[in-house]
Amino acid sequence: MKRHLTDGELRAALDGELDAQSLGHLEDCADCLARQSQLQAKQTQTASRLAFLTPADEPAPVPQKAWARFSQRLSIKKETSMFKKIFAFPVVRFGAAALVILALVLAFPGTRALAGELLNLFRIQQVTAVPVDFTGLEQLTGDGALGNQFTELISNSVNMTDEPGEPVEAADAAQASQLAGFNVRLPQSHTPSQIYVTDSAAFSMTVDRAKAQALLDEAGRGDLVLPESVDGADISVTIPSSVSAAYGTCPKPEADSSKAEDEGSPNRRYPDCVILAQIPSPSVNAPADLDINQLAQIGLEFTGMTAEEAASFTSTVDWTSTLVVPIPSNSANYEQVSVDGVTGTLIQRPSREGEPTTFALLWVKDGIVYAISGLGDHAEQALEMANSLP
Amino acid sequence: MKNLKTDVVEASSTDSTPALTGGAGVSSAFEALFLEHWSQVYRALCRLVGDPAEAEDLALETFVRLYQRYPWREAGTNPGGWLHRVATNLGLHSIRGWKRREHYELTAGKYALEETPEARPAEILAQAEERRLVRLALAQMNERQSQLLILRHSGSSYREIAEALDLAPASIGPLLVRAEREFEKRYRALAKEDL
Repeated sequence: MKRHLTDGELRAALDGELDAQSLGHLEDCADCLARQSQLQAKQTQTASRLAFLTPADEPAPVPQKAWARFSQRLSIKKETSMFKKIFAFPVVRFGAAALVILALVLAFPGTRALAGELLNLFRIQQVTAVPVDFTGLEQLTGDGALGNQFTELISNSVNMTDEPGEPVEAADAAQASQLAGFNVRLPQSHTPSQIYVTDSAAFSMTVDRAKAQALLDEAGRGDLVLPESVDGADISVTIPSSVSAAYGTCPKPEADSSKAEDEGSPNRRYPDCVILAQIPSPSVNAPADLDINQLAQIGLEFTGMTAEEAASFTSTVDWTSTLVVPIPSNSANYEQVSVDGVTGTLIQRPSREGEPTTFALLWVKDGIVYAISGLGDHAEQALEMANSLP
Repeated sequence: MKNLKTDVVEASSTDSTPALTGGAGVSSAFEALFLEHWSQVYRALCRLVGDPAEAEDLALETFVRLYQRYPWREAGTNPGGWLHRVATNLGLHSIRGWKRREHYELTAGKYALEETPEARPAEILAQAEERRLVRLALAQMNERQSQLLILRHSGSSYREIAEALDLAPASIGPLLVRAEREFEKRYRALAKEDL
């Protein structure tokens, strides 16, 4: 063999992974041996830095105990995956973690508005955006210890009373209206590639103040103190059937984002996807003595607002009629726009760090919440679609 | 279209994960697989992230993902490589988190002191600092290069690395050379920043 060995082959030789023929050449080639010597010096240096990765006999947690914890975690994941499923509607998925949505949904029933033992909640009449720092939320919804603690809290508190089921396909607006139980509006100038109807869902939850407070403490926000009145509060939420019409190449609505992370960039898979979703306003029942403004303020402070900013924002929002959509403060912007004869909110998140540009146009008309969302610079198309609804 | 349930704890027929065997837990086949690989996965993560609690948490998450995604029931599949790849990915992702980096800075020295009480504190802290820089350098590299280095320096053979990362065995040598160069470059840059 006359060809000199490549660096890769010389490296394989150092690891005892070179084939016999090449090894034969190496033994007789002074040039290759000299290069290998240089390579070995570098490899030894790297190996010394990475030496702590070398297997040792440190004790691992007993496998049987670990198995018990694994089974428990799997069970909790299963429970919460169904809970999260009801938040699959694009209005609440857009750029927001489930926690904030939950907090804000719970914040809708204002004690100012209704009296009595139970508040028979709200109908969304308007949408507004609030820029927040998602760092704390990512901690709660991530895979770390805090995320698991939050997941456990939710799974222990929530009781699904009506599971949403799998979305079913509808042929046109008329069939979608029949299945969903409300008048579905679709732009006549565009042909949807698919229409899905997702059935209604409902859940109730009982607040465990001690655990929720422990979660805040764990997150380093022990300065935020939940009021005693939240302990044991029974809250029920009903989410009506919703309809999603997809334009272009889009994922199916039941797609679980946590399972799609290995499938490549959504920009490549769904570059022209635009989804028009619509849903009658959800409703929430909560105890009358729940201080919603206080809870909303705590939620806003958790997301990075100062106490003054949170108080100021809370005082400007009618929590009984406003869908508050949190957006990442450092990477998204929003503006009020005239749409479908009412005032809506256009949220845009410019492309960054390899993630595609995203947009969502939200508005409420005649008790129905509408959202047009998608990837890329199609906000103008969204406005045109919205303004052409029959 | 809809399953009406009174308690969320019940297993859902619409869930895409394999069926649980009633209230007793997951199937015995998966349990056997878990018990076989648990210690290895945990130890690899413990070395990588340097925090036993975090390592256990990530190891459990690795198995949850295996259960949910990998076709582990298919005959002939060996999940060892898959587990290694996912575990190291989770470990690297964890290191990248800025919150956790602060955590590592605090805990690296603590665990080292606990493990080797006879050594001098200054030496231990210096070693801990070096490991922190190594972890950061690995976390900064592209995923495949980091995986290569971690797998190789954890003792995996070229064949095992090739299986885990879906690469040709003959490509491992050249890729290792490039990965080690990249690692040294990043490590030195980080060490310089720290001066």
